[in-house]
Amino acid sequence: MTRVLAVLALLAGLGGALGWLAPPRANLAEFLPPGRTPASAFLLRELQSGAATTLLLAAIEGAPKAELARLSRETAAGLRASGQFGFVGDGTLRLGEPEEALLFRYRYLLSPETRPEAFTAAALRPKLEALLDGLRSAASPILARYGFADPTGAFLGLAAAWLGESRVATEDGAWFAPGDNPRALLVARGQGAGLDAAAQRLAMTAFHQAFAAATPPPGARLLLSGPGVFAAEAAAGIERDVQRLTLTATLLLAGFLYWRFRSWPVLALVAVPLLAATLAGYAAAVALYGSVHAIALGFGVTMLGVVVDYPILLLTLRRPDESLATAAARIWPTLRLAAVSAAVGLLAMVGSGLPGLVQTGVFAGVGLLTAAATTRWLLPRLVPAETRILARPLGLGSLAALRGRPRTALAVLAVAVAVLAATGGPDRQRDLAALSPVPARQQALDAELRGQLGAPDVRSLFVLGPTASEGEMLGRSEALAGAVEPLVARGLLAGLDLPSRYLPSPALQASRQAALPGDAALAEALREAAVGLPFRPTAFARFTAAMAESRALPPLDLAMLAAGAPTIAARLSPLVSRHGAEVWGIAPATGVAEPRALEAAAAGLGLPGVLFLDVKLEMERLLADYSRATLAWALAGGVAVLGLLAIGLRSPRRALAVAGPIGGAVLVTLAVLGLLREALSLFHLAALLLLAGLAIDYALFLAAGGTADDATTGAVLTCAVSTLLTFGMLSLSETPVLHGIGLTVATGVAAAFLLACAFTPRQVRSA
Amino acid sequence: MRASRRALLLAPLAAPALAAEPTLEQVMQALAAVPAQRSRFTEDKVIPELEVGQPNEGTLSWQAPDRLEKHTTWPIDERVTVAAGRLTYERRDRGVQREFALGDQPEMQALVEAVRGTLAGDLAALRRHYGVAFAATAAGWRMVLTPLSLRVLGAVQRITVTGQGNELRSVETEGGGGVDRMQIAPAP
Repeated sequence: MTRVLAVLALLAGLGGALGWLAPPRANLAEFLPPGRTPASAFLLRELQSGAATTLLLAAIEGAPKAELARLSRETAAGLRASGQFGFVGDGTLRLGEPEEALLFRYRYLLSPETRPEAFTAAALRPKLEALLDGLRSAASPILARYGFADPTGAFLGLAAAWLGESRVATEDGAWFAPGDNPRALLVARGQGAGLDAAAQRLAMTAFHQAFAAATPPPGARLLLSGPGVFAAEAAAGIERDVQRLTLTATLLLAGFLYWRFRSWPVLALVAVPLLAATLAGYAAAVALYGSVHAIALGFGVTMLGVVVDYPILLLTLRRPDESLATAAARIWPTLRLAAVSAAVGLLAMVGSGLPGLVQTGVFAGVGLLTAAATTRWLLPRLVPAETRILARPLGLGSLAALRGRPRTALAVLAVAVAVLAATGGPDRQRDLAALSPVPARQQALDAELRGQLGAPDVRSLFVLGPTASEGEMLGRSEALAGAVEPLVARGLLAGLDLPSRYLPSPALQASRQAALPGDAALAEALREAAVGLPFRPTAFARFTAAMAESRALPPLDLAMLAAGAPTIAARLSPLVSRHGAEVWGIAPATGVAEPRALEAAAAGLGLPGVLFLDVKLEMERLLADYSRATLAWALAGGVAVLGLLAIGLRSPRRALAVAGPIGGAVLVTLAVLGLLREALSLFHLAALLLLAGLAIDYALFLAAGGTADDATTGAVLTCAVSTLLTFGMLSLSETPVLHGIGLTVATGVAAAFLLACAFTPRQVRSA
Repeated sequence: MRASRRALLLAPLAAPALAAEPTLEQVMQALAAVPAQRSRFTEDKVIPELEVGQPNEGTLSWQAPDRLEKHTTWPIDERVTVAAGRLTYERRDRGVQREFALGDQPEMQALVEAVRGTLAGDLAALRRHYGVAFAATAAGWRMVLTPLSLRVLGAVQRITVTGQGNELRSVETEGGGGVDRMQIAPAP
């Protein structure tokens, strides 16, 4: 016993050291695949680290309106002071004094109204008349401020175009959502990459701290959403689920094993191969990939649940008069075949090409083989020869009756096939959102906040790039602005948020400078336009001076905007992405009803370096690609397993007898999933592989061993119940992926065990 | 005649109150006690860039606590209504109607608050936007409002409000080198 504990302590120590040296990484991005086309590569990179991923949407509710406004203002001020956010938007947001000055200075270079004909007497006359009219009105203080320096209204037009489309109602310095329940809204842009869970947690903490510092009254609450929150919530959700379920499953399993063996040391003994397998899998993944992804670790450990079977089989199959070492040597050929076949079955995961699944596959494969080896060579040395651990006999009356009924089994399979044929099998999961570990409640909140803030989820967009410079990218954006107009007219989209909307290219700015009139020409045009109007001759001195200044200005660029105009830069920066020396532009489309039609039309535009991308379509295509690859590899893995069994059992017929329950279990599971309306995802496929690995154990030991006595049946039943306990718990998870795996494996294990029993020949009397 | 006779009758009673000059708080309390009021105004805007002044006139209606309407009847027809933090701008001759939250327009909000805050006797609201200097005068009282916000100061440098008892008499707005003088009298 002390030896077992010493080994466990050693393994735990090694595991701790390894985890400390190469801690698991929580960045969801690394779990995702690299793209296969330029579009998908760009998309995935943006999804992982793009500016859109750092957006935080927030709502404050549960207090009277005035109180909410105060909370909103103070929270926003706290966020700005924290320095953790590149941008904070709330009801107090407007162009600041220095920002306004910068944009005002550049008004004629920025305004699309700047054309030679805009400064003729004929064009100026109505502007002056309108100005005079405005000066009579109640708005005269504002008009007097801008009107004489900018009688053409270039600046006010720009400000309206940039900030005017906000649909959010401002009250008392806070944005309020429409509706009866008062709800103040805020947005913030963090500085870390969006899918980096740790960075996002920091940003969320800063948000909660700023809210708490505003001393919210009881009942007031802060709701947060956004890709970053999703990443953090997903990580936390999986962690919570795994912890809760693992704990329950471990307790159940421990209780069950104790009941079976009436011995506590058994629990420690069973833990040894599991721990060794985890350690080896972890080490292998670190050696191959430099680190282990937290999700791969979670899935990998889950899949290694299989290896609990190995020590259980060893302990239960030991005959009363046999030493553990002899028993291990006796069952080794079957155990070896089971472990190798299960490992080969994982080929599909490795071949899927999805980095996360590949890691999980490597982790589990290496772990399986290690566990088998540990069971064979290490366990017998840990238990003193005189120790007697025996499974208590099970009453197997009803199960015994099931044995040797291949016709019943075939009938069940026929029903499963009929169900599959009738229902067409389970649907393939195409919607990435359904796979998301983010709770549906959180997804709904996100959609609601985006709607209220007028910040639609970016789905369809044009990608501009790669370009060598900011100017080139802005030039393409301008070309796209013109080219897309017919598509807008056809109703394929309502509009585009182009980078060039906020910052014209240097070339366009230069051409606008060239369009500005000379001093003499402008003075003459103004004089002519003002005939009969009561303007003093010097009234427009600021206008003519601005014209001279504008002609000499260096072109405005992104760096100048970022330094001097934070509000506009905050609008523009999410639309610009830099990757090394490459500059990319992003132009999200609004009002897209038919992404496929728009995609076809966009392809017909013939603009070089402009790409249309529909996030959902592209993701579906990516998933389909990976699903195809996984399926092909699963088939290859199946054939390989069959070959291995044929070689290992030295008979194709016996191989088929073993393969029967395995294939049957997969069929029955698919039928059940179809009946339960579960849509099949990549993760279900992975779970089917795991299930096949388990079924191999049962079938090999039951059907092919030729020792299908009560002891074997009892041993396999113990294994099956252990697995059912673990994965049954997993199927209760709220995380869709974990739920899917749990349900698939639990159903399959039950089916595999019963089918393996039924396919087993009736007990030979001599045994 | 009747009014002057009544004033004579009341003179002995009013004398002690007149002797003490009204304080800002007293004036605000008196203004706050007025539930509704209709007045006529004449306004003359002097803008340095224009050779001529821009005169106009109309009516001013007040309904406590926050409804203010400035209806210009000559030379243009323009109606500005403020209620519950929203401003409605209407020019029937141009078919223009706009509505926005005052919170979105800090300059307009400050200008509106100068008049609304005074009529409501809401000193706290005035002090949110302005430095308030008060003086009793021979005719009544005078309040000089200096915008606190730099942004508002860019458009308006000073607003001088005068009144008599609980009635507004004039609002003079200085900004951008020009001045807007509004004289107010009770509506007939």
